[in-house]
Amino acid sequence: MYRFTRACLIVLAMTTLDARIEAGAQQLAPAKTPSAPNAKVFFVDLKDGATIPSKLKIRFGIENMEIAPAGVVKPNTGHHHLLIDTELPPLDQPIPSDFNHVHFGGGQTEVEITLPAGEHTLQLLLGDQAHIPHRPPVFSEVIHVRVDPATVEKTRTPAPAGASVFFVEPADGATVARKVTVKFGLSGMELVPAGTNKPNSGHHHLLIDAPLPALDREIPSDLNHVHFGRAQTETEITLTPGDHTLQLLLGDHEHLPHDPPIFSKVIHVRVADTVPEKAPQASAADGRRPSPPDAAVYFIYPSNGERIYPNSTIRFGLRNMGVAPAGVAKPNTGHHHLMIDVETPPLDRPLPSDLNHIHFGNGQTEKKITLSPGEHTLQLILADDHHIPHDPPVISERIKVTVKAVRTARKRSRR
Amino acid sequence: MIVWRRSCAKSGPFKTFIVGLALAWAALPIVPVRAEPTASAPGAVVYFHAPLDGARVPQRFTVKIGLKEMGVAPAGVTKEFTGHHHLLIDADMVPLDQPIPSDYNHIHLGNGQTETVLTLPPGTHTLQLLLGDHQHIPHQPPVMSKKITIYVR
Repeated sequence: MYRFTRACLIVLAMTTLDARIEAGAQQLAPAKTPSAPNAKVFFVDLKDGATIPSKLKIRFGIENMEIAPAGVVKPNTGHHHLLIDTELPPLDQPIPSDFNHVHFGGGQTEVEITLPAGEHTLQLLLGDQAHIPHRPPVFSEVIHVRVDPATVEKTRTPAPAGASVFFVEPADGATVARKVTVKFGLSGMELVPAGTNKPNSGHHHLLIDAPLPALDREIPSDLNHVHFGRAQTETEITLTPGDHTLQLLLGDHEHLPHDPPIFSKVIHVRVADTVPEKAPQASAADGRRPSPPDAAVYFIYPSNGERIYPNSTIRFGLRNMGVAPAGVAKPNTGHHHLMIDVETPPLDRPLPSDLNHIHFGNGQTEKKITLSPGEHTLQLILADDHHIPHDPPVISERIKVTVKAVRTARKRSRR
Repeated sequence: MIVWRRSCAKSGPFKTFIVGLALAWAALPIVPVRAEPTASAPGAVVYFHAPLDGARVPQRFTVKIGLKEMGVAPAGVTKEFTGHHHLLIDADMVPLDQPIPSDYNHIHLGNGQTETVLTLPPGTHTLQLLLGDHQHIPHQPPVMSKKITIYVR
């Protein structure tokens, strides 16, 4: 621990404590600040051997001396230092400042600390205006505490503003069959499987007939709290006849709701005893070919926000489906369409074919295109043998690229 | 003759190579070669988007395939300048005038897939891509990638 302390000291000397250490070094030779006789520091209401919650307010007491902020030169004063899981530092040098040596240079007499589960030691040490212990040093006894693991709060993953989860179907108030397909979506964040620790991402949890659970801990996993840890966006559930509520709650890699939590509004569905199953018919009726649930089309190159050359090869990626030329009717296949500088076209009819809607009917998976300098948007849509997008549509995000203005002279010199 | 050679082809990559080489040589004038091999597009290239040569990958990883100057079509679809991908794992190049074998070392992406997830044991492995026509026979000239080496950790 001593070595650790010294290491910290060295590291900190190079960063924040420069001035302080120098000041301390100068005062090393002169006499140290004397402490008052019978001076004492102690923990208020915290006993040795106590079991404490993870998050705890600790109060410091002092007797026969007074508290003064760091830097204030006044006889019989000092400020607190809390030593966590560490022994007393060298008493003739400034107290280090790190996670194990917390300074209260503002003259604070209480602090809220968060400790991980397990055994810990706490000790108080008074320092003078230059953070050097007095002579004789004023410190408290070492107290041992145990943090109750049940009280440990996990840190919640932050969520971006404007992110939302929503139901695609059923609609609020719908009457549904006992076996109902629930489809849901996520906007403003990325959908990733559980266990993937990536900023601005999460996976769905469906709350069936359950209120929102506590938002600072793992979402329960039971029949009323269904996890979609493989980043699914649809599921089939079987409900008993009667009224039910459904709600979505996004969880992070550890199934913990985000901060702020991302949840949908509660929707109500009614299950009648004899309702014809109509979900499969609906998709068949409008003639769109089904796509597998986890199919995705995406840009291998360029990525969103990238700066590209006017002549660039755009490369397409396709997950969980295959490529087939136009006119080939084969389940789970389609061909790529590149939308340039246009809004997403209607998805229930053949995609237009013009300079802004490029078809890759020969099954191409990349294409060299020429774009004018400036900002452009690109989007990929997979469509079936008749150029009609699948159901659900397999569609990439609409990415923005900036085309660099390349001067001819530079181009020549490169060659 | 053909039957015997096929069964041999399944007995191991190395053997396949030797046997294939010997037979390609010996058998070329004897075995009636198909009249019209499917032509590939000039400048056609098949290549790996991921993983790259020399990459370290987890046991389960996605292989992403790029194809230049040609299109992808599911097996069985006859269309000029199209084909489907075959992924050769720890295998030497197969005879180029007959259907690509289908086994653990020769993965067919017959539905026109352009990426697939592989699970390999830890260690060094090689991957190579070979485009096949509607009958799984390599084009003429063949469209194949460089053989890459990856390290599964």
